[in-house]
Amino acid sequence: MRKLLFVFLTISSQTLLSQELFVVTDPASNVPANSLAVNIMQSTFKEKFEPGYNYHLMPEITYGVNKNLMVRGSAFISTRSNELYGEGGSVMAKYRFLSSDDLNSHFRMAAYGRYSFNRADIHQEQIEILGHNTGFETGIIATKLIHKLAISSSLSFEKALDNKPNYPFPDYLGNNATNYNLSFGKLMYPKKYTSFKQTNINLMVEFVGQTINENGKSYLDVVPAIQFIFNSQARLDFAYRQELISSMVRSAPNGFYLNLYYTFFNLKK
Amino acid sequence: MKNITKLKTVVSLLLILGSSYTNAQITKAEIRATGLTCSMCSNAINKQLKSLTEVLNVETDLNTNTFTVTLKENNELNPKIFKDKVEKAGFFIGSLMITAKSEIISKNPYVVVNNKKSGVTETQFQVVDKGYVTDKEFKKLSKTYKDISTYVLNSEDDFHIKILN
Repeated sequence: MRKLLFVFLTISSQTLLSQELFVVTDPASNVPANSLAVNIMQSTFKEKFEPGYNYHLMPEITYGVNKNLMVRGSAFISTRSNELYGEGGSVMAKYRFLSSDDLNSHFRMAAYGRYSFNRADIHQEQIEILGHNTGFETGIIATKLIHKLAISSSLSFEKALDNKPNYPFPDYLGNNATNYNLSFGKLMYPKKYTSFKQTNINLMVEFVGQTINENGKSYLDVVPAIQFIFNSQARLDFAYRQELISSMVRSAPNGFYLNLYYTFFNLKK
Repeated sequence: MKNITKLKTVVSLLLILGSSYTNAQITKAEIRATGLTCSMCSNAINKQLKSLTEVLNVETDLNTNTFTVTLKENNELNPKIFKDKVEKAGFFIGSLMITAKSEIISKNPYVVVNNKKSGVTETQFQVVDKGYVTDKEFKKLSKTYKDISTYVLNSEDDFHIKILN
């Protein structure tokens, strides 16, 4: 917790598409071209089969290659082995292929692909290449923004591979899954803008689910979140993830997220 | 003698006309952006516009997402730079009104689509090409201007403008 507080206090945050900037999923929109976004995501989840909490630290940098394409690199660090341990990393690319914008509204679609590697032990049926499994994921995202409300949904295919060098993916588990989510974000404050310096407050709720394709085992989680945006530049998210239903083994389904986000605009002119 | 005086007058007039040639320049651009409602999105556009060395100042109305861009003297910008910048931020232009020296409208990339007369020194116009108006608006305008052969070509190199003043 002390480490968490330390990072919380030392890093200020920022980002771009507030109502759409969901905590656990991505919208169809990208970061601006030539801009670099730095995100420090931290989570602490309650262990189900042993006492205590685990802590995950996921630093992430995202770069806007052009108006339609962004790339991201992430690192996964956790305390599951009782000290901070670099477990793996990830690269992803997202391409926005459809934009239908109007005054104060838009509908956008994007496709993405991600590859992750991880050397930690495999300890659950849930497939999660963001911090647990080696593997890849590919999917599409659709996002609708209507005034102050953003609604986003995605569908993806995720496949787990061996966590090399020591932990091959167990034969008795289904190694690929379908992921789906439905997310809502609403700008609550301010009702009327007066300047860039105003703090914005967004409320979000995300439903995140997975089905293992081989055996139909599934889970569905709800993630309510509150998001603060400072100076139209810095972003802080606080979220809680709660399992609603599950028919699969998950080692730590419930817990908290803390996100700090900062964007460096216009790296080159 | 009279003829020589006349000739002198004509020559000096020509010289004056020649030397008074200046770059046809945009002095101000009023951009309304589409596809956003959050102040951080507006800021992304604000930062993109401010990255232009020709820009003196950007004023933003966050409630309407309107950006009023004041430009430095003797710049050689054309409307496309604003479209590029807004799109780089991840958004689109809903309308673009430009204030410029009046001689600009007789210059090459500009095609005037209405009969309105521009002001003597300064002119205000709206760019009505695809990408400079909303998609809905463009559909309507395509019908209105179907007889303007260059308009329907959607070329990025020319700008169809509607004089406002």
